[in-house]
Amino acid sequence: MEEQILRLPAEQLFQNEIDALIKAEKHPVPAGWNMSPQSVKTYICGGEVNGTKITPKYIGHERLVEIAISTLVTDRALLLTGEPGTAKSWLSEHLTAAINGCSTKVVQGTAGTTEEQIKYSWNYAMLVSKGPSIEAMLKSPVFNAMETGTIARVEEISRCASEVQDALISLLSEKRISVPELALEVPAQKGFSVIATANTRDKGVNEMSAALKRRFNIVILPAPANLESEMEIVNTRVSQLSMNLDLNASLPEEDVVEKVCTIFRELRNGETLDHKQKVKGTSGVLSTAEAISLLCNSMALAGSFGSGTITDTDLASALQGAVIKDEEKDNIAWKEYLENIMKKRGSEWSGLYMACKELSGE
Amino acid sequence: MDNPNFFGIRHLSPAGAYYLRCFLDIKQPELVLVEGPADFNDILKDITRKETKPPIAVLAYTKEVPVRTILYPFAEYSPEYQAILWCNERNARLRFIDLPSSTFLALPERCPLYAEGEENRTNIYMELDKICGDGGHETFWERVMEQAGSLEAYHTGAKNFGANLRSLTEGNGDNWAETVLREAYMRQQIKDAVNSGINPANIVVVTGSYHVEGLKNWQESNENFKGMPETETLHTLMPYSYYRLSTRSGYGAGNKAPAYYSLLWEGFKRNEPGYSSYSYFVKLAAYMRKTGNPVSAASVIEAVRLAGALAMLRNGSRPALCDLRDAAITCIGEGSFAAVSLGTADTEIGTVIGTLPDGVSRTSIQDDFYRQLNELKLEKYYSAVCQDIMLDLRENRRVKSEKAAFIDLHRSFFLHQLRVLNTSFATQQKTNQDNATWQEHWMLQWSPEAETVLVESALKGDTIAGAASFEMKERVENATSMGQIALVIEDACYCGMEKAAVYATTALQKMAVDTISVEDLAETAQRLSIIIQYGNIRKVNPMPLKPILSQLFYRACLVLESACICDDAASQIITSAIEKLNSTELAHDFLDTEEWIKVLQSIARHDNLNTKLSGFAAAILLERGNMDTESLHTEVSRRLSAGTPADLGAGWFEGLAMKNKYALIARLSLWESLNIYLTTLTDEEFKRALLFLRRAFAGFSAAEKDQIAENLGEILGLDGSQTSEAVNTVLDESSQEIIDSLGDFDFDF
Repeated sequence: MEEQILRLPAEQLFQNEIDALIKAEKHPVPAGWNMSPQSVKTYICGGEVNGTKITPKYIGHERLVEIAISTLVTDRALLLTGEPGTAKSWLSEHLTAAINGCSTKVVQGTAGTTEEQIKYSWNYAMLVSKGPSIEAMLKSPVFNAMETGTIARVEEISRCASEVQDALISLLSEKRISVPELALEVPAQKGFSVIATANTRDKGVNEMSAALKRRFNIVILPAPANLESEMEIVNTRVSQLSMNLDLNASLPEEDVVEKVCTIFRELRNGETLDHKQKVKGTSGVLSTAEAISLLCNSMALAGSFGSGTITDTDLASALQGAVIKDEEKDNIAWKEYLENIMKKRGSEWSGLYMACKELSGE
Repeated sequence: MDNPNFFGIRHLSPAGAYYLRCFLDIKQPELVLVEGPADFNDILKDITRKETKPPIAVLAYTKEVPVRTILYPFAEYSPEYQAILWCNERNARLRFIDLPSSTFLALPERCPLYAEGEENRTNIYMELDKICGDGGHETFWERVMEQAGSLEAYHTGAKNFGANLRSLTEGNGDNWAETVLREAYMRQQIKDAVNSGINPANIVVVTGSYHVEGLKNWQESNENFKGMPETETLHTLMPYSYYRLSTRSGYGAGNKAPAYYSLLWEGFKRNEPGYSSYSYFVKLAAYMRKTGNPVSAASVIEAVRLAGALAMLRNGSRPALCDLRDAAITCIGEGSFAAVSLGTADTEIGTVIGTLPDGVSRTSIQDDFYRQLNELKLEKYYSAVCQDIMLDLRENRRVKSEKAAFIDLHRSFFLHQLRVLNTSFATQQKTNQDNATWQEHWMLQWSPEAETVLVESALKGDTIAGAASFEMKERVENATSMGQIALVIEDACYCGMEKAAVYATTALQKMAVDTISVEDLAETAQRLSIIIQYGNIRKVNPMPLKPILSQLFYRACLVLESACICDDAASQIITSAIEKLNSTELAHDFLDTEEWIKVLQSIARHDNLNTKLSGFAAAILLERGNMDTESLHTEVSRRLSAGTPADLGAGWFEGLAMKNKYALIARLSLWESLNIYLTTLTDEEFKRALLFLRRAFAGFSAAEKDQIAENLGEILGLDGSQTSEAVNTVLDESSQEIIDSLGDFDFDF
């Protein structure tokens, strides 16, 4: 049965690591937590306990992970912001997996999210037939988290309408939820907190109010600091994903990953890695997450329709798809990049250059 | 025999300062020996004076140029400083035992421990950073040593730290030889102290923890230090600043966050270990609010809690600076460092500067500086924060005493003298006034660098004025052109130093005798002229300057005519020189007007000179009313007569048209002459003339051209407005091409 599931939650995927950490616990464990803050950090940043290797989940910027964990220790809510694809949701999922062993109390913020989804709603059939009762109440993930003293996740909070965001304010400051229909006050148990994520690109959609912001400790997740850590992230994630997805292709070679990361970083930062040449940026974000999915796509292409290893042609079409979002402008930027940067990179890049050139040629 | 009590410290360490005092309280020593140049013992009594407020520094400098300096900073939380205070309170004796500064400064390489360059040390510290992880060795030191819970812990911790550091560097590094020498000297000093009859148990030796191991074998010391290199040095106490401390981080010389370290020290004094962490956020929030960024008390509380949690994650008992800063970024800056960077700079580094009692500064020039600050009521500018001051040099008639009436003038003198000495204390800003005469705008900011330059200036003189005058004298002696000397004269007048001005004037006079460059002469004459004209606002006595200006002017008159034999390119320089000389002559009635007119007339008349210059000279004469209409006509007809090469004639007209255009426009006959001249030219000649005439008329405005057109219309019998339209039209492409082709014209005769 389990094998049919497309994507296992983090706590099941890394069950043995979590178990090992809990078993080897040496530090005091805060109320409502499954392990100590130190162990949570080991779980996220990688390490080894009693012979069990802990794979790193978030690479680079360990200090930010420490700040995030410490925030949750002080029962403050945590807001992770950053450009799209900087592992905000990823980090939030793993934090809850390690702290509570449960990463599924999620409210997905959208323009259509309502206040009920943050607090509670009703089973209307039961409500009509029996009147208001606890049984007729449908508790939201946040409600559940308060009752159990665990951490709820709110994804893309800045996409919610402001009245929905405001509903969170009272929950976070009073740390209790009231159900006037039942004359009920449910206090949060120790360990309750919220991890929200917000996208800095979408800032304008529903700017968070100062009152709400004040209830969060804000951690900005940056893009990976250098090529090496970005390659490490991409490598780890691609191999994990390909195992899950049963892609019939061999893992991308080191130099393929390097090429993709180099291209992404250069287009993202607007200059070459050696800082010597300016590069015209593109409208897309070209995040690390996108690099990962690009490589997985290429593997799927190669596995299903190709030789099983990623060729330059596979890579070229995937790259073009990822880079060119806003037709005209990006097309020009991509062609300029091909001619001015990639063409001059020497023989290692010439295969990829030729393939890209062929695709983009009219 | 017993060993003396060694206490290893880290310079500028609050915990070290606190536990050292505890240590001294327990040991009650008779004598405390401190790592620091042995010839500094005489400043101890000044350091302990009530009015002395750290941060301060001892500056030692060589007596001869090039001046080399070393600096020993003390903050309130320096263990050495607290040792000095302790000894003063208990009547114990204290001595510095390191190499004297006279030897230090004579050594080929300065000791990187205190001196500017930190290269040698950086390597080992970079290595340490790697070993320590977690924010590097600074954080390691803070977590382990600054948060040490007891005297015992600090004492042994520092010893181990020093010993380990030593085992990493022993025998290598460029400064190892120096370390060996210094430690040998210190050992000898310890031995001397013991030999003088003090029980070693009653001696405490305070050194950097690094040296503790090296001093252990003090009994074996029998070195002879007679042959050590030596140079003559002086030293002085000077105020220091937290900012300067923070820029020279590294082992001995400073630390990155002095204001934060003073919070740590305050925490020790209050016996309140959490003090530094909450006061850090309170100070930060106060600064943010003051600068218009609201920070709620709730955020401050959250930050304190987060910092505590961060420290716990690192198994620290209390937050270290990096925890505090990260918590501030997260809770107060909403995740971005930029939002709190100014606040953290203020809280961590701060703007504190030290003070010394009057008369303690060792150099008389420093004394003079502070005396004048006081006298000129400029004390409030003695601050690490940059401040503006506007000076009005005119007499203030509303006050009684003469001193008060001219206080801004005297301030200006003082600031200009400091400027001449190249101290960074005062920088002059531009004012809206052209040729700024009575108003000056200055930016004042005290910094230890400014003080250092001041101390170095002690070699030039005992007072600021004296040093400035020496500086100016040197500039005069090294001057290679009159312009440089004129600048010195100008500076001397700005500084209100007549004698220096006279000295420079004499030098100028000597140089002027040999100068034949009209350009130089005119430029210098103009500078002097301005000083004489506006100098009275600065109470400059113009008398000594007048003769030299007359001389310069006369000399310019003599050489001007021969300078006028030149090509068109050089003529521009000469034109501006003539213009300057003319305005100088007009400004002063003591100059030889007759001679000047004679020269101009001669230039205007002679045919062998550059015709443009002749034309220009005529224009000036015309303007000054020294040429009547009659002679103008004669001259115009002569210059523009048929047969004169076209470029010469038109060139002359160009020079004439450079001045008093209205006078020219008003004279109809002039245009008639020009018209007749042009009609006599052949086509080929006309093309030549066209170039010059076009240039001559380029300077006229549309309205002026309009009037010329009217004149021409009169002469040619055309309608004025039509002509005007014709001359004011922008060239179309084909005409432009023709004109451009004229540019290729061969002008070789």
